[in-house]
Amino acid sequence: MSETALMGVSRQKLLLDLVGVRKTFDGFNAVERIDLSVMEGEFFTIVGPSGSGKTTLLRMLAGMDQPSEGAIYLRGESLNDMPANKRPTCLVFQSLALFPHMTVGQNIEFALKMRKIAPAARKERALELMRVVRLPETYYSKNVMKCSGGEKQRVALARAFTYDPEILLFDEPLSALDYKLRKTLEKELKDLHRETGKTFIYITHSLEEAMVMSDRIGVMRDGRLVQVGTPEEIYTKPSDKFVSEFMGEVNIVRVRPDGSGRYKSEDLAGSFTVNAPASTDGYVVIRPEFLRFLALPSDADNCLTGRVHNEYSLGSRVQYQVRVGERMFLVEQPRRQSFGGGDVTIGWDAADAIFVAE
Amino acid sequence: MNQEQAALRTRTLLWVWTLFVIFVVYLPVFCSALASLTKSRYFLFPIRKWSFDWWDKTMASIEVSTLVKTSLMLAGSVTVLATIIGFFGALAFARYNWKGRSLFQKVVLLPIFFPQPVLGLALLLWFNALGLPLSWHTAVIAHLVWIAPVITLVIAIQVYGFDPVVEEAAFDLGASRFQVMKEVTLPMLWPGIWSGMLFAFLLSWGNFPLSLYTSGADSTVPKWLFTKMIAGYTPMVPTLGTMSTLGAALVLSIGGVAVILARRRSN
Repeated sequence: MSETALMGVSRQKLLLDLVGVRKTFDGFNAVERIDLSVMEGEFFTIVGPSGSGKTTLLRMLAGMDQPSEGAIYLRGESLNDMPANKRPTCLVFQSLALFPHMTVGQNIEFALKMRKIAPAARKERALELMRVVRLPETYYSKNVMKCSGGEKQRVALARAFTYDPEILLFDEPLSALDYKLRKTLEKELKDLHRETGKTFIYITHSLEEAMVMSDRIGVMRDGRLVQVGTPEEIYTKPSDKFVSEFMGEVNIVRVRPDGSGRYKSEDLAGSFTVNAPASTDGYVVIRPEFLRFLALPSDADNCLTGRVHNEYSLGSRVQYQVRVGERMFLVEQPRRQSFGGGDVTIGWDAADAIFVAE
Repeated sequence: MNQEQAALRTRTLLWVWTLFVIFVVYLPVFCSALASLTKSRYFLFPIRKWSFDWWDKTMASIEVSTLVKTSLMLAGSVTVLATIIGFFGALAFARYNWKGRSLFQKVVLLPIFFPQPVLGLALLLWFNALGLPLSWHTAVIAHLVWIAPVITLVIAIQVYGFDPVVEEAAFDLGASRFQVMKEVTLPMLWPGIWSGMLFAFLLSWGNFPLSLYTSGADSTVPKWLFTKMIAGYTPMVPTLGTMSTLGAALVLSIGGVAVILARRRSN
């Protein structure tokens, strides 16, 4: 567990408590009975594919949608009847929702202007926040629509911080940015979280993004929280096939016990050694980086024979697609290897694979 | 070589077209200006003697100043009312999803396609049935029936380009519903509202058929031009017509300058 995760958990001060929260739109259950506690100062990320209900959940926290059932408590007090403009939460929208008719400064100061703070004090606070999010001071009177994508992002962040909300909610704010900028801003966001000590609730469809930033992660599917845990827990002990698939490109083999302590697969030859708690049907999840090319079949606990179908350079590593029968396996290696075009043997150790029950 | 020829052909065609438009659209307007600058009582071309006499007479005429005042009050009232109605109508038209929306969108458009003389007649009969005395007040109502839908459409175009998420963002940042309207919705829709106002003013200022039927004894500029044309022509007719055109052009340029200034300020 990372240091910040320990800090968040060791304080153990309950901030938000969701009890049986459910949201129905025209008979469709967008969010189904969610129970969740978020601690003070925590960076909590909700991941899930689109349509999993994560945005609806976030909007209920912000006060833009009301739960059809259940309640949200902030330090023991129900937030249900509190409108968005009275809640100590601030949402950073996916589209950022900057005010296009205002300058950078006016955007950032908006919340203070609404609270009738004097212009001089507003400007001081805006400039202070612009330093925090690394926007040059000259941008204060710049038209916000003339800013680049990353700059707009920073304006939206600064704007959310101005009136000092306790909880910041993020709705995939980085999804529209290019890879490099996203990586930079992920780290900055994490820094910002540490420096401000505020509670961040972040949603994304990328588990990778969640892993980098979060103290805890909740994986959502079809309106339910499938698993809640630290990044390490989610990564090493996915609760089911869905969560393991969600971790990115993985090889999944459906297996069942063959009666002799080993496991068999329907579409692959041979039998496998699997570290499974009990003799049940389930899935073996092998990450591409744990699959390797073998000189001898006995070099690993399990092996398969196939042909290299394709290779891709991922920059830092090389990914191979290996065809085994009708199936494709992904193997990642730090360096390019050459194969004669004949059969190759790939394999993995049982300890490197994850077993999830059916 | 071939490319140059094609470019030359395009340029020639463009010029021919431009001259045609000028000839058909703008020359008649210019003619009425010429007709107002004659010294004689009747319109003869070419003009023998030039003078601003009829302009002076028009400016001095109490009759003309009364009907210009009436036209201004009519167009002013229509502008204010049509913009208010059109603004909320446009929100209902383009912003909110509600049950009768698609029916509303169709019903609102219908008066635009209704022939104006027929609409004028229908309204005249209607005002009579209700027992309303005819004056420029009733003409305001008549103009609104036709102009408010147009303004609704003009503002709705702006509303379609408006992302309602910014309203949510403003509300989330602590603005009250009123502040959201004042600080975000209105300023963002302002270009549409502004062009709606200009449209409303100019459409009402130049409207003849509806005024003819519904303004009773009150005369407006277009109505007076028509009646004078039928009986009692003097060069005051083209003079006032030219003034009216210039006035409309002035309103339009003020609008244009305001837009340019607003854009420059926001940059």
